[in-house]
Amino acid sequence: MKIIGAILWAATAVFVLLAPLFLDRGSLNDLWNLAFAVILASAWNLLGGFAGQVSLGYSAFLGIGAYTTALLALRGVNPFITLPLGALIAAVFSVIIGLPAFRLRGPYFTIATIGVAEAIRVCASSVSFTGGSSGLRMPAGSFDFNANYFSMIVLAIITVALAAWVKRSAFGRALAAIKQDIDAAEALGVNSTRFKLAAHALSAAVVALAGSLYAINFQYIAPGSVFDFRLSLSIVLMPIIGGLGTVAGPVLGALIFSTLQIKLLSIPALRDSFLFIYGGLLIVVMLFEPQGLVGVGRRLLSLSRSFLRPRMADA
Amino acid sequence: MQQLTSVILNSLLAAGLYATMAYGLAVIYGVMRIINLAHAGIMMLGAYVTFALFTRFELDPFLALVIVAPLFFVVGVLMYIAVGKQITGGGSTPSIESLLVLFGVWLVLQNLAYVIWTGDTQSILTGYTMKSIKVFGVRLGVPSVLVFLASAVSLIFLNVLLKRTYLGKAIRAVTQNRDAALLSGVNADRISAAAFGLGTAFAGIAGGMLATLMAFTPDFGRSFLLKAFCIIVLGGMESVTGVAAGALVLAFLENGLAAYTSVPTSLQDAVSFALLFIALVAFPQGITGWFARFERRTAR
Amino acid sequence: MPDALLSVRHLSKRFGGLMALASVDFDVAEGDIFGIIGPNGAGKTTLFSCIVGAQTPTTGEIRFRGERIDGLPNHTVVKRGVVRTHQLVRPFRAMTVADNVAIGAHFGSGKHRGARAERRVRDILERTGLASVSGSLAGTLSIGQLKRLEIARALATEPKVICLDEVMGGLNPAEIVSAMALIRSIRDSGVTVLMIEHHVHAVVGVSTRILVLNFGERVAEGPPQEVIRNPAVISAYLGDEAAGAEED
Repeated sequence: MKIIGAILWAATAVFVLLAPLFLDRGSLNDLWNLAFAVILASAWNLLGGFAGQVSLGYSAFLGIGAYTTALLALRGVNPFITLPLGALIAAVFSVIIGLPAFRLRGPYFTIATIGVAEAIRVCASSVSFTGGSSGLRMPAGSFDFNANYFSMIVLAIITVALAAWVKRSAFGRALAAIKQDIDAAEALGVNSTRFKLAAHALSAAVVALAGSLYAINFQYIAPGSVFDFRLSLSIVLMPIIGGLGTVAGPVLGALIFSTLQIKLLSIPALRDSFLFIYGGLLIVVMLFEPQGLVGVGRRLLSLSRSFLRPRMADA
Repeated sequence: MQQLTSVILNSLLAAGLYATMAYGLAVIYGVMRIINLAHAGIMMLGAYVTFALFTRFELDPFLALVIVAPLFFVVGVLMYIAVGKQITGGGSTPSIESLLVLFGVWLVLQNLAYVIWTGDTQSILTGYTMKSIKVFGVRLGVPSVLVFLASAVSLIFLNVLLKRTYLGKAIRAVTQNRDAALLSGVNADRISAAAFGLGTAFAGIAGGMLATLMAFTPDFGRSFLLKAFCIIVLGGMESVTGVAAGALVLAFLENGLAAYTSVPTSLQDAVSFALLFIALVAFPQGITGWFARFERRTAR
Repeated sequence: MPDALLSVRHLSKRFGGLMALASVDFDVAEGDIFGIIGPNGAGKTTLFSCIVGAQTPTTGEIRFRGERIDGLPNHTVVKRGVVRTHQLVRPFRAMTVADNVAIGAHFGSGKHRGARAERRVRDILERTGLASVSGSLAGTLSIGQLKRLEIARALATEPKVICLDEVMGGLNPAEIVSAMALIRSIRDSGVTVLMIEHHVHAVVGVSTRILVLNFGERVAEGPPQEVIRNPAVISAYLGDEAAGAEED
């Protein structure tokens, strides 16, 4: 079973890496968007799915990455060099927020993150050095489609690999323990705050990298787009639909989500209904299958196994 | 001195509205132990329904509250039956699933509003919207004063409900000690439905009142939701006086900041959020809980 | 006691108006099996919580190997070598038995990783009789198995002191006998044992010293046979008439 999974992952990676050879620009753009979604969903899942700390404020980290890159690029720095700096700032920021916030449990933590993200958005819109509410435009001549494509794809592959590695590691086990019973974990020596901070910082850094690449690709960023609450919501929705706390879940969720977005935008009648659909999905998934698609898949698998199991009745 | 009076009066006016708004959230939390993120959407709907009643039937928004309250009570009970029942948190902390389900409901409500009323900014303009009166030498807008009066009436009504009726006592009992209340024969299902209805009704009238004070779009619930959280965290989720106290603190802080510092209005919301954050971390039991602990420490 | 492994002095814990522990003093020597008994609500579990750092004492000192550990967070105390089990078991239900034990191995005082951790997990599962279910999800275990898992996880942290909180609750007589044997084997492997128990016969049978608590206060402490004949102890459990009857 695991070998099949590994082969599938490898095949997908090879496919997307070789795609520019046989796909047109439009499809490559779609793949780029998909990769972006995969990165955000998988990174968020490290804290939200593995450790069970649901943050609705990840747009903050995306914005930090985007703005760091844009501001430095406008001062003459090569955009790609700004990536590590954006990631670092995001990680540091995540620790500053996390130190007080992780004292809160469950939904209270979630509410705190909503507050933080909103505060940042408001500040970014009001302060002039970030260009205020009208945003920033990247310097001309910095657009190179192939570089953009490969950097996003490679980042996506690295992120998924990272998630897989974390899941199997001692770090991942600690996060799972924290998710299920934080006090019992502490009673066995797990320094839960340290691990939460680590997961938060790691995912924040990755999301910031994606934000930097976003700025490089779209050439224009504004608080309304990168610090938007709906973005934070989408980031959370993808792993939920796909399956929290799994490696495949965020990827599946990102796939469905991106496809849905593309389809929705092309049907005028449905264009204004995306909130219905997001909201409806959230309700349906949480009420009926909190484990998302992966959960549905697992249930189907065990159902089929029980059908195929030889009958014991006649023994 | 004049400015201080102005700050005090404006804070009182704001606090009344905030308390109404926050109480809707507090009662649902107290009885069902879930955090109702759809509260924002309901407030928004309250605004739009009041608006619709005003434009269609030329019904004065404050009179419309008399219709909005029971209407939203029914809506709340229906919402409970549809969604609320499955997500009641039995444990001491609300579940993430319940949070996200209600979040989904909020999104659906937003879309509903977009579809029915479009995303255009709307407002309610009555004959008295622009008028003001002088109280203690301070000029106060007539709508603000009416909002305060309406809030006061609803909170008094609430108080009577909680202290004098079976429903009210049952709600207080379940809020303070769920297991004991259930053992005493309280029907959890019915009380939860009633609490959800009550909370929704309060959210609805808060929204209606807000509609008389400002322009609104379907997006408008969010910053008020965060203010409501702030209040509840400050005041403790379990008492009505706590909610009132929290509302006063927030209102004073906002008005004081506006009057005495040069913090621009756009950043004022950020201040509320910062306060929420600090309050959540420093006072996990709310300010009243903190005081209670202090009292006990000196009792012996 | 000069070189006590674990030493508790004037330990008090107040919750609001309730005094859960009132100036408790005792020492535990290395190699002891130290029983703690007392009526319900006597403060026994609170005592354990304070020792491992799940609660902070209101006043008092707790020393482990001469160093103060009161006020340290739970995970730090575990890394120093003092661990506890929970009276109401708290397994990680969505993880396998092996993974549950691995948490203790990774993050306890042993800090094992990789192959060494796996070996340690296997050893402990053998010793606690859980090897056959090592791959099952903890949520599928019976209560007896869950109690053993609770102990297994704690042992995986390579403690010097293990605090067992009512591990025999709900066990039938045969299971109690094997639990007593397990406790002795834990002590024989070099781990000092503190145990809260209600089964007075079991505690008397296995302990080297017993502490009796009532209403958060120390009522008696000493070798088992002495303690159970102490009139104060008898009256704590059974009322004053019984103490009087014992004297006649």
